[in-house]
Amino acid sequence: MADPFLLTVRALAKSVPGPRTLFRALDLAVGAGEIVAITGESGVGKSTLLNILAGLDDADAGVVAIEGIALGGLDETARTRLRRERIGFVFQAFHILPYLTLQQNVALPLALVSPDSAAAQAEADAMLAAVGLGGRGAGYARDLSGGELQRVAIARALVHRPALILADEPTGNLDSATAARVLTLFANAARERGAAAVLVTHSEATAAIADRVLTLTADGLVARAR
Amino acid sequence: MRAEPGLWSGRLALGWLIGGEWRFHPARFLVTAVAIAVGVALGFAVHLVNGSALASFDSAVRGVNGAADLSVKATSRLGFDERLYPRVAMARGVADASPVVQLEARIGAARLTLLGLDILRAAAVTPTLIGVRPQAPDTDSAAVFDEASVFLSRAALAQSGAKVGEVVTVAANGREVPLRIAGTLPGVAEGSAIAVMDIAAAQWRFDRIGRLDRLDVKVTDRTAADAALVAVMPGDAVISTAQAQSQQGDALSRAYRVNLDMLALVALLTGGFLVYSAQSLSVVRRQRAFALLRTLGLPRSGVIAAVVAEGVAIGVIGSALGLAAGYGLAWAAVNWLGGDLGAGYFRGAGAGLVFQSWAALGFFALGLLASVAGSAVPARVAARAAPAAALKNAGDVLDPRQRVAWWPAAALLIAGGAVALLPPVAHLPLFGFAGMALLLAGGIAGVPWFARMLLGPIARRSIHTVPRQLAIRHLHGAPGAAATALCGIVASTALMIAMATMVTSFRGAVDDWLGDVLSADLYLRTNAGASFDPATRARLAATPGIARLAFGRQLALTIAPDRPPIALVARPQRGAEDPQFVLIARAAALPAGILPIWVSEPAERLYGWHPGTVIRLPIGGGTRFAVAGVWRDYARQGGAVLIDDADYQRLTGDTGRDEASATLRPGADAAVVLQGLRARIPPALRGQVDITQPATLRRFALMLFDRSFAVTYLLEAIAILVGLAGVAATMSAQTLAREREFGMLRHLGLTRGQLGAMLATEGAIVGLTGALAGIGLGLVLAQVLIHVINPQSFNWTMATRIPVGTLLAVAAALTGAAAVTAALAGRRATSRSAVQSVREDW
Amino acid sequence: MRVSPIVALIAAASLTASAPVPYPVVKPGITLAFPRDHGAHPQFRTEWWYVTGWLRTADGADLGFQVTFFRTRPPVDPANPSRFVAGQVLFAHAALSDPKIGRLLHGERSARAGFGLAGADSRDADVTIRDWRLQRRANGRWTTQVVAPDFALALTFAPTQPPLPQGQGGYSRKGPQPEAASYYYSIPHLKVSGTVRRGERRVAVTGEAWLDREWSSNYLQRDAQGWDWTGLNFADGSALMAFRIRRKSGGTLWAGGSLRRADGTTVMLAPGDVLFRPLARWRSPVTGAVYPVQQELRVRLPGGVHRWVLTPLFAAQELDARRSGLPVYWEGAVRTPGGQGYLELTGYDRALAM
Repeated sequence: MADPFLLTVRALAKSVPGPRTLFRALDLAVGAGEIVAITGESGVGKSTLLNILAGLDDADAGVVAIEGIALGGLDETARTRLRRERIGFVFQAFHILPYLTLQQNVALPLALVSPDSAAAQAEADAMLAAVGLGGRGAGYARDLSGGELQRVAIARALVHRPALILADEPTGNLDSATAARVLTLFANAARERGAAAVLVTHSEATAAIADRVLTLTADGLVARAR
Repeated sequence: MRAEPGLWSGRLALGWLIGGEWRFHPARFLVTAVAIAVGVALGFAVHLVNGSALASFDSAVRGVNGAADLSVKATSRLGFDERLYPRVAMARGVADASPVVQLEARIGAARLTLLGLDILRAAAVTPTLIGVRPQAPDTDSAAVFDEASVFLSRAALAQSGAKVGEVVTVAANGREVPLRIAGTLPGVAEGSAIAVMDIAAAQWRFDRIGRLDRLDVKVTDRTAADAALVAVMPGDAVISTAQAQSQQGDALSRAYRVNLDMLALVALLTGGFLVYSAQSLSVVRRQRAFALLRTLGLPRSGVIAAVVAEGVAIGVIGSALGLAAGYGLAWAAVNWLGGDLGAGYFRGAGAGLVFQSWAALGFFALGLLASVAGSAVPARVAARAAPAAALKNAGDVLDPRQRVAWWPAAALLIAGGAVALLPPVAHLPLFGFAGMALLLAGGIAGVPWFARMLLGPIARRSIHTVPRQLAIRHLHGAPGAAATALCGIVASTALMIAMATMVTSFRGAVDDWLGDVLSADLYLRTNAGASFDPATRARLAATPGIARLAFGRQLALTIAPDRPPIALVARPQRGAEDPQFVLIARAAALPAGILPIWVSEPAERLYGWHPGTVIRLPIGGGTRFAVAGVWRDYARQGGAVLIDDADYQRLTGDTGRDEASATLRPGADAAVVLQGLRARIPPALRGQVDITQPATLRRFALMLFDRSFAVTYLLEAIAILVGLAGVAATMSAQTLAREREFGMLRHLGLTRGQLGAMLATEGAIVGLTGALAGIGLGLVLAQVLIHVINPQSFNWTMATRIPVGTLLAVAAALTGAAAVTAALAGRRATSRSAVQSVREDW
Repeated sequence: MRVSPIVALIAAASLTASAPVPYPVVKPGITLAFPRDHGAHPQFRTEWWYVTGWLRTADGADLGFQVTFFRTRPPVDPANPSRFVAGQVLFAHAALSDPKIGRLLHGERSARAGFGLAGADSRDADVTIRDWRLQRRANGRWTTQVVAPDFALALTFAPTQPPLPQGQGGYSRKGPQPEAASYYYSIPHLKVSGTVRRGERRVAVTGEAWLDREWSSNYLQRDAQGWDWTGLNFADGSALMAFRIRRKSGGTLWAGGSLRRADGTTVMLAPGDVLFRPLARWRSPVTGAVYPVQQELRVRLPGGVHRWVLTPLFAAQELDARRSGLPVYWEGAVRTPGGQGYLELTGYDRALAM
């Protein structure tokens, strides 16, 4: 079955302890090279949605399919495999492991799949160059500024050519100028590789780089005029 | 491979993770590895030394026995009638029999075993006991049947300092006989001090006419021989094999060796807890790293694999280090302390260290197991954490209202108590040790609950100084963190306190008992088998100043060939009961017409000789006795029986006595009476009688006691040190992990001094909690030691005495050490600027 | 004239012993009395009962055998009341020569007399060590039972001739010193019947044997190295015994022997009447000793010098009992034209002291 969308979400529902429903009947479809930004108030369930998309959390009802494969039908092992091979992550905190070199940090998704360290390092170096940190692979996290760290994180999210990139407040820890540079880089890299990206953010500036901006409410995702 | 996506294919990432952690925290790994190494080293060393001592004891036994197929042995040194010899020699299945007179002898100060042999029989049955003259064997044959010749083993030559050709005075059985050293015994194993002479000469010169101590037997048909020999066996002889002999040595010291092994394992256990503490902290610290990796697609099992792999690495390095160190320790102990760990079981057996590869493998495996088990629990905790939540959370999520479960601890404690009450297995208190392990586990599992209980009332009170308030609230809210730091020290403290309580109780009991036993004013004892004949006894008893002189006979009596002999003590017992023998149980009524006998507590427990039972002892050709009472005895682990000396003399015809206790007339001067006694000892006996005062004996006995527990003290101290190291490492790691918290507190306006005070308070409270928990648990474990392990291992009982001083010292040391460590770690943790600490990404 | 070196070993003890034990001296002028002298003479230092002979199995194979009991009296203190005292010590050797095996099979026993386990009767021949025994029965026949690791013998010896006193009516000199001597008689031409057991196989045998009986207190002079001895049964009923004592420095120290003809007339041989001449030597691969296993025996008889060539059944008849701490000698079945017997060669490994 050829699904034109890399990510398809249909009739998704999730409630949290206490009689509170985050969302019910949420629909979303994201195509290749498309960047979708999701905004909304604190506590509305943006991060939970992202976790469900990543297979780290379960929805109460509904379907999430990545490249046509429904997450609900997968066990923990298969989800882990899917996450490792088809999804890339960017976090608000950069989560660059301080005791690994930048090259190793970027190469981690590859190292989780194959023991071929030379190939992984070559790819990581290429990816670092693509985010403007060429030649810095031997350094460590403490040598870098926040913007640079997030660029490393973006490199890590893209290095294994994922179908879907999930980003949770990727610029939350950055000043606005740096944030703009990093976001441009992120958007270009994602489009270049034909990945679908879902971006959760508060920031209007961040949302601005997206192809579509949706607002998460209790009723679902509401499209916003640009 | 579907179940474990990429655990193997992801090995590169796992390798980076573990490698990175090691590069950044090498000291942590090293300390944990050393903790394992200490445990392995101690266990292996103790095992090697004991094994070597046992092997040399074994070879000493074989040396004296000359490796006969089997032996008929006298049950006591009174021997058996020599007319048994032809009956055994002609028994079915017997190829040949070699009669032996065996005596404990002295040449100067050197002690050795003197064997009287028929060279013609020994040549066929026990050729290793045949002497060789220094020249070629057939140039000078004078010594073959020469009654004035003796052959010495190398050890006997070395110990006596004599040379071949010299005439030496050999003292045995109260006789001193000049004998010429005609040659050596090259077939006797190294380390066995043996002298061999002609059997007829030995019987004659050492007053053993008509008696034999042993028949070494060469068999053609073992089954037929066993059956035929049983039929001719008199009451005062038993059939024994080399195997039974070495079992005898094994049985005597086995409980002691197992106990030492267990103590050494305690150190290993403590090491395991240390690994647990360290890995728990490391896992908490890396929680977000693991969460990230899980998000990136590392399977749950990958996290476990990473942490367990670290445990394996720690275990392999620690165990390897430990084996090397253990071998070195054992080598040093054998070479410098002589192969006897102080308890005197193997005295005189010159040990050579033998590397035991199976034991090495075993201890390596135990070290690895401790390390892997210590890592597995934190690994599972790390794998269970939800990755998304862990990534968001900045640090520990404490909920002070969360209940701390008490029932796992209670269940373990109850199970431990129940298991400890089960009977011994093969004379070893295996269930006792299992019970202790369960109690220990229960105690440790109960530490968080205990900390909460202890701190609850304090936390509810309002405390004025902020640092203390913070300290107590932190511990109260996170008792699990404290427990992690504490489990090692609680374990080692508990075991140390248990041992200390047991030893204190034991020493106190021995001291009291010595007071009872040494109630006379002077003690006389002969050595090298000399004895007081009736005339000498009468003359000694008439010494001015003596109110009463009670003579006794003491000899080893073999009940079963594979068990250590019991001591048969003959003393005047009818009529006036001897105050030396403190009866702890009495028979209500005795069967009429059967001689009464009093058994020691170990004898009662070993052989089931309860008051009122009728038993048969292999003296006087096998005689029935009724057990009239049980007396306390801490001296003879193999058991002892007390018989009235008149009964003894009538049954055995033995008129000799080898010990005496003197009660002085009121006002008599002990020194004067001692001189008087000395003067009345016949010249032939002079030099073979020791006269001592009770204080000397008591001092000597307690010295022996302390020496036999010296290794125990040492092992305990090391376990405590490992535990303290664990507390230090854990406290400092926990403190460093809270760097951001301290940065925040300093933003709020706490001074560095206040932070230090807070940490010191926390440390002190943690230490005190550990000490209290350890002491409490230790006192419980001590009850198992005193009432289960000791009676089952050594067959004696005692009342508990608590070493209050030791308890206070341990509590103070632990509290202080923990406070100091925490404060020192705090200085490091607060040395970075507050701003930087709060900003820190990880 | 027979002694195993093992007895020499024990007997030598008395020569150097510290406590002097009054051993009787062997003197001329006695008359042997039987059966008393078949029995033991416990006062003398050494004594032996020595049977050698040829056996023929039912299928015609030739075997040689030797059964020897020794008694010795070590110089122990007579005051020692112990029942184990080594006042009398007994040894026994047995050997079987089978040319098919090509070496001696042998076994031994030894014990102190006493406890009913070993003893030598002094009234008639009856020597026992555990399960080994040599006994003269009331009917005049001798019997023996021995069990060695590789074989067992149960043989009966029926005398066909009266005992033959050697030397001067039984006083046999062994050297220039008159006290170096023994009491000595032989019984040649003993008719043998019985069984030889090897493994589980038991074979009936018949044959002819020679008994030597000797007791002494001072056998060899100090300058004696060892001896060559032979005892031969001839088909015509005559019997020859000859020996020579070799000097340590070489040559012959003493020699002697006797020839009893079928008619009972006996010729006593003086030292000058006996000459042993080696014809072939055999070197023991085990001990390295070189034995003259084939010899020409020249004896001067009233009718002139007689020569016999002694040819061994096979060469390797050395008895190596060193494993039991004993010396080595050669004791072999030999043939000669018209007769057969045994040759004994001692002191080739090293000098003997007796």
